[in-house]
Amino acid sequence: MKRFVGNFQPLFAAGILLVVLLLPLLGLTPNVIRILFITFVWITASLAWNLLGGVAGQVSFGFAVFYGLGAYAAALMINAGVNPALSFVGSAAVAALASFLIGIPTFRLRGPYFAIATIGVSEAVRVVMNNISAVGGAGGLRVTERGIFRQTEHYYAGLAIAVLAVCVSLLVERSKFGLALRAIRQDEDAAADVGINPFRCKLWIHAIAAALTGVAGGVFADYAAYIHPQGVFAFSTSVTILLMPVIGGIGTIWGAVLGAAVVTIVEEQLVAVFPQVHLLLYGLLLMLIVLLEPDGLVGLLRRILRRMHVDPSSRGPDKALWGRGRLEGREL
Amino acid sequence: MTAVDFLNLLIAAVLLAGIYAVMSVGMTVIYGVMKIVNLAHAGFMMLGAYFAYELFERFHVDPLIGATLALPAFFLFGMAVHWLLIRRLPKSDQPTLSSLLLMFAFWLVLQNVGYLFWGNMDRSIFTPRTLKVLTLGPISISLLRLIVFFAAVLCVCALQLALSRSWYGRAMRALIQNPYAAQITGVDDERIARITFGLGTAFAGFAGALLAMLYSFSPDFGRPFLIRAFVIIVLGGLESVSGVAFGALVLALVETFSILYVPAGYQPAISFGLLVVVLLVFPRGIGGLLERKWRPA
Repeated sequence: MKRFVGNFQPLFAAGILLVVLLLPLLGLTPNVIRILFITFVWITASLAWNLLGGVAGQVSFGFAVFYGLGAYAAALMINAGVNPALSFVGSAAVAALASFLIGIPTFRLRGPYFAIATIGVSEAVRVVMNNISAVGGAGGLRVTERGIFRQTEHYYAGLAIAVLAVCVSLLVERSKFGLALRAIRQDEDAAADVGINPFRCKLWIHAIAAALTGVAGGVFADYAAYIHPQGVFAFSTSVTILLMPVIGGIGTIWGAVLGAAVVTIVEEQLVAVFPQVHLLLYGLLLMLIVLLEPDGLVGLLRRILRRMHVDPSSRGPDKALWGRGRLEGREL
Repeated sequence: MTAVDFLNLLIAAVLLAGIYAVMSVGMTVIYGVMKIVNLAHAGFMMLGAYFAYELFERFHVDPLIGATLALPAFFLFGMAVHWLLIRRLPKSDQPTLSSLLLMFAFWLVLQNVGYLFWGNMDRSIFTPRTLKVLTLGPISISLLRLIVFFAAVLCVCALQLALSRSWYGRAMRALIQNPYAAQITGVDDERIARITFGLGTAFAGFAGALLAMLYSFSPDFGRPFLIRAFVIIVLGGLESVSGVAFGALVLALVETFSILYVPAGYQPAISFGLLVVVLLVFPRGIGGLLERKWRPA
């Protein structure tokens, strides 16, 4: 008999939020704050990708394009003297606009064709940005600094956008729009038959996801003070953004957050020691996930909880299947 | 633009098309039989390039012979990979997310293996043949490209023959057309899938080895070619070798003649631009258009 422990998730989340809010006051080393900041940025991007890839089922291998566009938009606006917060809004707008331009031709493709097309988009934009000297070309762009570098400022900015991403994800998940997206993921033609317009829904979620990723890129640009196409538009950036929700648990919010945390820590700790081995690690991890536990780390945790006879579902036994992303057997 | 320039560019484009065709045919065959989009294709091409490189550097084997040796070597490698990994994937009529991610993960692993063994410095194969140029009157053709073109065409024709004449070829085509009916008539889909994957990998390795003669390479080699292979497949339809040849020709022509209008820095983005244009005009690829013409229904 399984014990239903009640809905512990909101309390758990609130607890984490409280801890994270107060962390800078505990006097942690700047390096730890930096890692946390990067985690927040990646959490935002991860949740954004999850909206498109996990909820709507459209796997994009080219999210770096939005990250990079957001970064460049914010950088250019900050350099022009615009208030940073406003420039992040600008990042979101630019990224969302780009998502429409990209989505309109590519959403005619399904599944893997869409995925590969997104690789092409990202690469094409990277090449173009490499060549436009007005934004720095291959040499990159410097962001003019506004006074002393206050790390806690960036920390809270990162936290703010991460919380924003979680809120947006929750809103989408519980809305009729989210239901439509799930239907599209499961069977696009059947969804169209019941009256959903898949093309429009895909475009809209693409815009939301792109906007969030753009904001993440903007916040990062403000922090890093220097961006270049090989960094923000890199294929490896797209890969990282894709890997985080998949490793954590595709389709779920906890999964996206957990995946981002794991990947960031692995990258930060490992890249310093073994520069190139992270590709091997990601590849092996991804293979294990695809073959053994398609629901990622969250799926693994659920299995463990089930073994301990605890009901892991957040809303009680009847809704055990609600809100779960499924990787295996999903047809694109 | 003079007639001579035009002819030079045209010949260059055709030669390029040969290479592009042999590069894409591997991915096509794997997709047709198993409905798996093989992202690791880029990784196999990279390994093929290094295979030829190592044979050349250590044993002074001519890279053309190295490329030919790559065919059986990668065939076996592909079959091993299928037996180890691919057959554990859930089967489906449509491409699945799991297969996409698995192949992608495998590509990452292959890249890392490349970095581990060969570092990230660019390598190249340099033989006396590399710089030779054939001149027929005003037209000059790189000898190497010509040889590579013939090797590629030979390979693709051999594949077409195998598909149409041999039992395996017919079994493959049966699986492409209708997997259930094929199984009912006695085709062992797993065995044929294994052979197909081996074949696709063999072609990837062969193409990689040929490309190694023309370009320098590093473990990241393969991504621009992967995108090109994909564009070719979309252009030519996923079901036939002749479709791939057609797609390869179109892409090669566009890329070669775009040098006249587009600055060199933007070259890698050309293939993608072509893809977008084609998708906007023919949502199912040009191959889809042709298919409707050939089939009466």
